[in-house]
Amino acid sequence: MLAYLLNLATLICINAVLAITLNFIMGYAGIFSLAHAAFFGVGAYTAAYVAMHASASLFLAIPAAMLVTGLLSLVLALPALRVRGEYFVAASLGLQVLAVTVFSEWKSVTGGLGGTIGIPPADLFGHAVSDPVEFLLLALACLVPVILVTTVLLRSSFGRSLKAIRDSESAAHASGKNVAAIKTLSVVFSSSLAGIAGALYAFYMGFINVESFMLDTSVLLMAMVIIGGTGTLLGPLVGTVLLMALPGLFSYMSFLPQTEIGSIQQIAYGLAMVLLMIYRPGGIVGARSKGAA
Amino acid sequence: MNAAVPAPAPAAQAAGDPHPVLLRIDHLHRSFGGLKVTNDVSLDLRAGMVTTLVGPNGAGKTTLFNLITGHLLPDSGDILWNGRSIVGQRHFRIARLGVARTFQDLRLFDHMTVEENVLTVMEPASWLWQPGGRAAQAARRERAHGILERTGLAAKARTRAIDLAYAERKFLSMARIMATDARIWLLDEPASGLDRGSYEHFLELLRSHVAGGVTVCIIEHNLDIVVGISDRIAFLDQGRLLADGAPDEVLKDPHLAAIYFGDQA
Repeated sequence: MLAYLLNLATLICINAVLAITLNFIMGYAGIFSLAHAAFFGVGAYTAAYVAMHASASLFLAIPAAMLVTGLLSLVLALPALRVRGEYFVAASLGLQVLAVTVFSEWKSVTGGLGGTIGIPPADLFGHAVSDPVEFLLLALACLVPVILVTTVLLRSSFGRSLKAIRDSESAAHASGKNVAAIKTLSVVFSSSLAGIAGALYAFYMGFINVESFMLDTSVLLMAMVIIGGTGTLLGPLVGTVLLMALPGLFSYMSFLPQTEIGSIQQIAYGLAMVLLMIYRPGGIVGARSKGAA
Repeated sequence: MNAAVPAPAPAAQAAGDPHPVLLRIDHLHRSFGGLKVTNDVSLDLRAGMVTTLVGPNGAGKTTLFNLITGHLLPDSGDILWNGRSIVGQRHFRIARLGVARTFQDLRLFDHMTVEENVLTVMEPASWLWQPGGRAAQAARRERAHGILERTGLAAKARTRAIDLAYAERKFLSMARIMATDARIWLLDEPASGLDRGSYEHFLELLRSHVAGGVTVCIIEHNLDIVVGISDRIAFLDQGRLLADGAPDEVLKDPHLAAIYFGDQA
């Protein structure tokens, strides 16, 4: 039971980093990205590659993952964010599909459909972080700075500019805001931090393959943000805990047919989303009224 | 009064002119497909003066604002700010030059508080730190508070814009432009739908800023406001500037009145 809880807590921390960074662009900048799982995957594969071919040091693998995801997001954001928001959604979907193809086919780097196996444990000051408790602490040590940095950014003038752009891009332009630059930076920031989650995931699992980074992961992350509360600081955390803990809770409900747990889970998610959109469009943490961001 | 006024020659800006040309629109053209929405418009906005754009719906008034602020590019013609062309500049750069605008549909930052709406437009940078540090930040907050006092929104500083009443939203739009430090305000129907008390408050705000040196170009249908505030009136119809002159002359022209009230020109 303890091992299960430690595993769950670690995965919650990793997914919370993803949900918080997705919320940063979705909830505060109004940029809907369907490629967050792709950035997660790029971070994971980069960290795995660095760990297997250079060093498993976290101080090398995490910056490398951040750098590669940041650069990739820049390639997506620079052209796509100069036009209307719908184009970014389409472009991000295209990138997500492309990324899955690359993860599946670029065998020399990703291992193809079989994935990358034998990723060494993360190295922290010469110590291999392989114990589940230690890894949970490491995941927490990554999650807390992500929360802090995101909170500080959102409370700064950068955060106010993001929210202004979300609410009215033309009014933000008219107020002298360089909308394209601010949006591009926010996507790069968000994707780079998603790269941290990817690196953590690769080290934690010791094995990665394309199935963890497909479109349904992007949709699940979006659901975490929406159910928790888009555009709120706490919402993505609440959404992550809820959606990560639910499968376990369902499996403990002995009256449910255990072979159908997966389908029941999907029905429950769908129902929760529909009910939330009707009665609480701001999510669990968000405002109840029309004004929910 | 001049019909279809051409842009005055630079020599017309004599030394010591109390109202020098701040922004010059020079033979501007813009079409959407076959529809000419701005057709050879030339107009000067002079420092410290209020120019009102009048004309029936579809005359091209808001399009002219969009062209000035860079939200639209002209097909031909020029827009000069202090004698230098600003055509082709990105709209945020034009705003930073000192050209601010409001929108007919307000476009407030709805999910931000009233205070944040004002503070956001005051901030010179959009990054983590602002020039001037905490002292400048405190000064901005104090100034924002002063603006909210003047616009009657101080008690709603912590309220989100979306939760304001209609007139309050109009005054927030006004507060936001007051916070910009811009030299030219382009106001798109800022007083439409306001009750008498509110629009008198609005006029008082506008007059005090014009007295302080702000140049205003305003689109307005309320003739009380047009008469009460305008130094000049420019009459547009179907993209063409039909007249540009003193309010009395333009408003008394029966031909323009017929166009404005929907009769055949």
